[in-house]
Amino acid sequence: MKVNENLIREICEYMGSDLNSAPCKLIREHMEACHNCEVYVDKIKKTIEIYRYADRQEELPDSVSKKLFACLHLDDLTKNCNP
Amino acid sequence: MENNPSEELLVARAKEGDHAALSQLVVNYSSRIYHLGLRLSGSRQDAEDILQETFLIMVKKIGQFQGKSSFYTWLYRIAVNVGLHKLKSKPRKYDHISIDDPDFERISSEAASEWPKFDYDVVNDRRFRQKLDRLIEKLPEKYRTVFILRDLHELSTEDTSRILQITPSNAKIRLMRARNFLKEHLENMIKAEVST
Repeated sequence: MKVNENLIREICEYMGSDLNSAPCKLIREHMEACHNCEVYVDKIKKTIEIYRYADRQEELPDSVSKKLFACLHLDDLTKNCNP
Repeated sequence: MENNPSEELLVARAKEGDHAALSQLVVNYSSRIYHLGLRLSGSRQDAEDILQETFLIMVKKIGQFQGKSSFYTWLYRIAVNVGLHKLKSKPRKYDHISIDDPDFERISSEAASEWPKFDYDVVNDRRFRQKLDRLIEKLPEKYRTVFILRDLHELSTEDTSRILQITPSNAKIRLMRARNFLKEHLENMIKAEVST
């Protein structure tokens, strides 16, 4: 099976390892023969994407931002602020 | 995430008490810290408290920031400490659950079944998002924090391990377990969602 270079690179990045490191070379050898691992990695990627997508739907509310700046009134940091 | 020269100037000015520079740093990071607090605590009120407390500490202590780490690493460390401290003062929402390593033997031996086609619009549904929230809240803090920093805030392994004061290897192991736990449960959620 032809190795998917991008996939190998992504897995190594996930692992925080260099592409030429020993663990990545082992992964490359394994992936040459394992479709299941490709599916597994794809599911992990989708899991992360779904959580990132969900986070993007939640914005910092304007009211919270305004309160923050009021709280951080830089001339007086301790008054009017009770987190 | 990388420190850029303009941020270094901003931090230098903020250290001298420049109000505009301090405000700009708050603008630059408030959304990220709010999201961090939200994912750590699972509560909007707690996220707001974490946000305020983090920036109060930032403003008070920025004069002590020596630039040994990047500014955002320093700020994230404050926020994580504030968040974890807050969590300790609250009763646990969920019982302890065990988190296992992925069973690679099973993965490689069973027939691979891909996820059903998934429409991201489902995530816009509040009910589904609440399920996602509950799922990540079930993760013990030590795994959840790594997942949040590495995968949701896209920090490097090195920065994550500095912020949490753990080794890079430990950060990688925790991340692998967190991802596997979420994947396993999310897979069931998605199958249930698609079949309804």
